[in-house]
Amino acid sequence: MFSKRIWTLVSLLVVMALVLAACATPTAAPAPVETEAPVAATEAPVVATEAPAEPFVIGILTVGPITDNGWSTANYLGAVYAQSKIEGAELIYAENVNSAANPNTTAAQFAEQLLDKGANVIIFNSDDMKDGVTEFTSLHPDVPVIWLTGDFAWEDGKRYQPDMKSQSDVFSKMEYGKMMAGCAAALTTKTGKIGFLGALINDETRRHAAAAYLGADYCWKSIRSETTPIDFKVTWIGMWFNIPGVTLDPTQVADTFFTDGYDIVISGIDSTEAVTVAKKFRDQGEDVYAVQYDYEKACDVAPDACLGVPYYNWGVDLLPIIQSIKDGTYTRQFVWSDPDWSDINNPDTSSIGFKKSDGLSAENSALLDQFIGELAGGLNLWTGPLNFQDGTEFLADGVEATDQQIWYLPQLLEGMTGDSVTK
Amino acid sequence: MEKEKTKNPNQNSFLFNLLTNRASSMTLAVVFALVFTSLLVWMMKANPISVFQTIITGAFGSTNNFTQVIQAWVPLVLASLGLMFTFTAGLWNIGMEGQIVMGAIFSYGIIRIFDGSDASSALVIILCILAGILGGTLWAFLVGLLKNFGGVNEIFGGLGFNFIADAVMLFLVFGPWKPEGVANGSTKMLDTRFWLPQIEGTYLSLWALGIAIVCVILVTVILQGTYFGLKLKAVGKNNKSSFLLGIHTNRYMLLAFVLCGVLAGLTGALQVLGFNHVLRNNISGGYGYIGLMVGMLANIQPLITAPIAFIFIALSKGAAGLGIDLKLDSNLAGVIQGALVIFVLIMDGVRKVLIKKFKGVQSG
Amino acid sequence: MDVEVRNIHKTFGKVHANNDISLVVKSGEVQGILGENGAGKSTLMKILSGFISLDAGSILLDGKEVTIGSPADSVKFGIGMLHQDPLDFPPLNVLDNLILGSRERMIPNRKKVRQEFVELQKQFDFSISPDAFIDSLSVGERQQLEIIRLLWLGAEVLILDEPTTGISAAQKIQLFAMVRKLSEQGKAILFVSHKLEEVEALCTQVAVFRQGMNVGQMLPPFDNDKLVEMMFGKILTRSDRKCCTQEKVNIEVSDLKIDDPRLPIKNVNFCIQKGEVIGLAGMEGSGQGLLLRALAGIIRPSGGHIWLCEENSSKKDFVGKHYFDFKDSGISFLPADRLDEGLIAGLDLREHFILAEKQKGFFVDAKAAMQLTEKRIKDFNIKGTAENMVESLSGGNQQRAELALLRQPLRLLLLDHPTRGLDIESTLYIWSKLKQRCSEGASIFFVSSDLDEILQYSDRILVFFGGKVSKPLDAGDVSVDQLGQLIGGRGWE
Ligand SMILES: Nc1ncnc2c1ncn2[C@@H]1O[C@H](COP(=O)(O)OP(=O)(O)OP(=O)(O)O)[C@@H](O)[C@H]1O
Ligand SMILES: [Mg+2]
Repeated sequence: MFSKRIWTLVSLLVVMALVLAACATPTAAPAPVETEAPVAATEAPVVATEAPAEPFVIGILTVGPITDNGWSTANYLGAVYAQSKIEGAELIYAENVNSAANPNTTAAQFAEQLLDKGANVIIFNSDDMKDGVTEFTSLHPDVPVIWLTGDFAWEDGKRYQPDMKSQSDVFSKMEYGKMMAGCAAALTTKTGKIGFLGALINDETRRHAAAAYLGADYCWKSIRSETTPIDFKVTWIGMWFNIPGVTLDPTQVADTFFTDGYDIVISGIDSTEAVTVAKKFRDQGEDVYAVQYDYEKACDVAPDACLGVPYYNWGVDLLPIIQSIKDGTYTRQFVWSDPDWSDINNPDTSSIGFKKSDGLSAENSALLDQFIGELAGGLNLWTGPLNFQDGTEFLADGVEATDQQIWYLPQLLEGMTGDSVTK
Repeated sequence: MEKEKTKNPNQNSFLFNLLTNRASSMTLAVVFALVFTSLLVWMMKANPISVFQTIITGAFGSTNNFTQVIQAWVPLVLASLGLMFTFTAGLWNIGMEGQIVMGAIFSYGIIRIFDGSDASSALVIILCILAGILGGTLWAFLVGLLKNFGGVNEIFGGLGFNFIADAVMLFLVFGPWKPEGVANGSTKMLDTRFWLPQIEGTYLSLWALGIAIVCVILVTVILQGTYFGLKLKAVGKNNKSSFLLGIHTNRYMLLAFVLCGVLAGLTGALQVLGFNHVLRNNISGGYGYIGLMVGMLANIQPLITAPIAFIFIALSKGAAGLGIDLKLDSNLAGVIQGALVIFVLIMDGVRKVLIKKFKGVQSG
Repeated sequence: MDVEVRNIHKTFGKVHANNDISLVVKSGEVQGILGENGAGKSTLMKILSGFISLDAGSILLDGKEVTIGSPADSVKFGIGMLHQDPLDFPPLNVLDNLILGSRERMIPNRKKVRQEFVELQKQFDFSISPDAFIDSLSVGERQQLEIIRLLWLGAEVLILDEPTTGISAAQKIQLFAMVRKLSEQGKAILFVSHKLEEVEALCTQVAVFRQGMNVGQMLPPFDNDKLVEMMFGKILTRSDRKCCTQEKVNIEVSDLKIDDPRLPIKNVNFCIQKGEVIGLAGMEGSGQGLLLRALAGIIRPSGGHIWLCEENSSKKDFVGKHYFDFKDSGISFLPADRLDEGLIAGLDLREHFILAEKQKGFFVDAKAAMQLTEKRIKDFNIKGTAENMVESLSGGNQQRAELALLRQPLRLLLLDHPTRGLDIESTLYIWSKLKQRCSEGASIFFVSSDLDEILQYSDRILVFFGGKVSKPLDAGDVSVDQLGQLIGGRGWE
């Protein structure tokens, strides 16, 4: 009996010791700072009173891993850019903020962790995090929050949230990038059939797909002077990336496109399946290409199989907002920025760009530049007459679409095949 | 008198006592698990000390972190408690996941009915919880029926129903229940009126916590103080003898599933009302599977599930910070949990073998 | 090989299971070991074969002291043990089982093993096919296989712990012949039993254990009364045959038919009177077990009637009813395999008594349950406490516990080998308890492979042979010989 109790006691002590050891170490952590302090004190006691400026911390949540070479990488690099330009700024991030990888921690809770670690601004990088933005801002109405791709701060938008005083939205007009992608595809296709590998269906993806179609249609008709209408087909996989068993398999979808004679696939998803499948077909002697998305270097996996990539340059728009937060001049804003038409690939000024890849022939490259020039010159493809996919009128002849009409595009356009809404 | 001839002095040796005392052998298991993960971390070229530090501050470092841990403890402990019933009856309810999912779906269904109405939030919340319980119970009941009358092993049945529940969920959130114009695998967020009230400035709902604590007590009393609990245990230990002793074994196995389903459904409802505030893919949070691990360690003692679930959840919540601070994969928590389970089971096995050999069957 | 144990001690908690036991068995001897249930016989045997470790004392083989740390050690030293509990074999065929147990080579030489197996079998006139699957073997055949396996592994010392409890008379004869042959070959044999006549027939010396101690040795000729006194510390007298049969019909069985694929049973007709004891004789697996289970409601007869007769001479047919209906009308079944079908390993005695009682309310009244348990433990003289897990009780005490679980009042008690493995005193005790039930009006229906027991306690006897059931015979009118003939299939018209 007695010995039994002793043993229980001993183990209890061991457990306590373990816990204490583990708990004690964090408090011991600042030790190095203390060892430095006396040195400083002996040299110049005055310095001690001069409290070091509190660091300015940028926090970002990314839906995927920051190494995804797609969406999350682009966002993360944007934040890195802002940090590098702001003196004394630090950057912390939490990646894989999605319910599949972290089912038990919501985006809001991740944001909370960044806040605990001293973040002065928190960037939510995905449309997916809408609920996280809502929840977090309701608990912390004064913490600056930037929602990439969002529209809560848009006074003229449908989802304007007047109560979120410190929340801003940032997006760039990727519609132009998608038009360039569509144009490059239309210039290159031999079969006149272009596939669009879509993610899930929402306002953003609908208008991006439509923009790609508009670019393709324009270059097909006006630059190549073709008379037959171009075949433009959209297949949505159901998510931004492949989830086995849940989404359609993008590899399979791309494969089907190429097999069915669609010789160019424009990617609208965040991963690189389109170009890898194109490379596979090219290796078998087929003349097919892909157009990538999101990240400047997304074509690097197979440059020959890629025409180019419309990419984001988030830093350009993030920097001024974050700077204003640091300076204390921050006000809530909705940013939907145009590219710098003088040089869309200028990393310091243009929020989107188009990086050509080896698959694009010199001739088509020149034609694409011509198209970009036209856009810069004020060409607006969102001009009537345009009909919706179901035949109803979108824009009457000569009418230009408003920002709201573009942002909240309810359907795909006439001339495109594929679903407008999820069935 | 003959003691000098003693040939097996090890009964009193340090090592023997260390390995046969329950508490010390469990402590040893924990130490082994920690050493094991440290080695792993070290091989990943990270510093084990800072890993554990991060986990502990991640779990307890701030009020916010701590309340998050408590918040996540609720569903895990509920799931583990549910599994106490099936474990006691000698059943492996792998179908827990699907039952949680069904609970969530049913309870969100009620939300849809009352969305936009001015019904009292308390009423709607209670209805949601009841519907969730119904959903989980139904799903568990089906597994039980298949086992009893179809002769389908509950593991396969459970897996099958997990798949179906996931399929139903995907159909709903990508189909009829998707928010207008969007389909991203989750529904519209609940009107805040229908959230379980949370403590100001945190994600923790005292209501959820209260429900969990009541359930811990209730399940403990049911399993350890009632005829029902004893009969369930008898069925789990020896089905044939129990039947001959006059216990309706089939009925009891079915009841074990049903009660497990009740708690699964409750878990699902709370995941919707108290945590996610939407219905979405992965709503179960994997608690059905983690619950199985907790259940194995708890060794059919419901009271023990509370601290074990707490350790598990503190580990995984704390580990979320690994990605932020150390750029390590937060799945390391899963590895530590797994290592804990394995080492505890090993040490328990060693302890039992030693006791059987040297001390005989334990009484009591 | 000579075996010697010196001053062996072993305690299980408070139980001193082996208390300073010393024993010498020389090569060629057959050492009988007698003792009441729980005397510590199996404990010593398990120590010798490495299944449990000793607390103190020493073991000498051929005069050399050895340490046996594990069953593998004991095999290495040439000790082989046949266990008392039914043997668990993996579901493989005979040959694979042999090979599994050997630790010699990584890649077995099946041809050689087969040959060795066949040769060993021939020595003892066994006829087990090396390709037979274990499930198809009877208890006796499994036992033969196990002994062969031990010999094949090189056993020089053979421990047989109650080897005769589950086997047929013919197999018992084979077993005894084998033991004699082995002792002639110079093997040392330890033979544990509760049957004095077996010990008398086989052993060259006998030791008696009591409460963990070796209380005495005896050489032939053995004085049975003296042995019994050594075992129990008192002289036991068999109670006289007492008939409690009443003139009231309790149960009437007519044209009962059981469709068992292996052993169909037809045309069973008899009446059971109140207070009557009916013994079922026959070789294991001749249909007794089936009839017992049919009467208990566990298997469903395919035809005929089981009438339960009431005082007012109304009667109800129970064929087709559920087991629980049988149970509720006072029919209780006690299976032979206690830990498999009767008791629940992992639950303690108290929990068993709670389960067996009628449920009162929703919550268990722990205090009342404790009192009840203590009362039953006292009433039935169970050696153990309320918190003892049933599996830690010795065989005899498990049987007492099973009896103590029976409900009151009872109409019919169906017993499968009620005293298998019990010592003489326990057997007497249990039968006295059973007879008490008879005097209260219950009838008893029991299966036993011990003819003496059947003749001693039954009022009437049913003999089974290959699914055929004899007319009830009056126990007073038949002799052991006649019974033996019938059981062997002779004398049936
Ligand atoms: N593993 C065990 N744990 C606890 N007690 C045990 C254990 N094994 C045996 N005992 C106890 O030790 C004593 C001796 O048991 P043992 O099995 O040696 O008796 P036995 O002489 O073989 O009896 P039986 O004739 O019933 O087989 C009994 O009181 C029994 O309850
Ligand atoms: Mg024994």
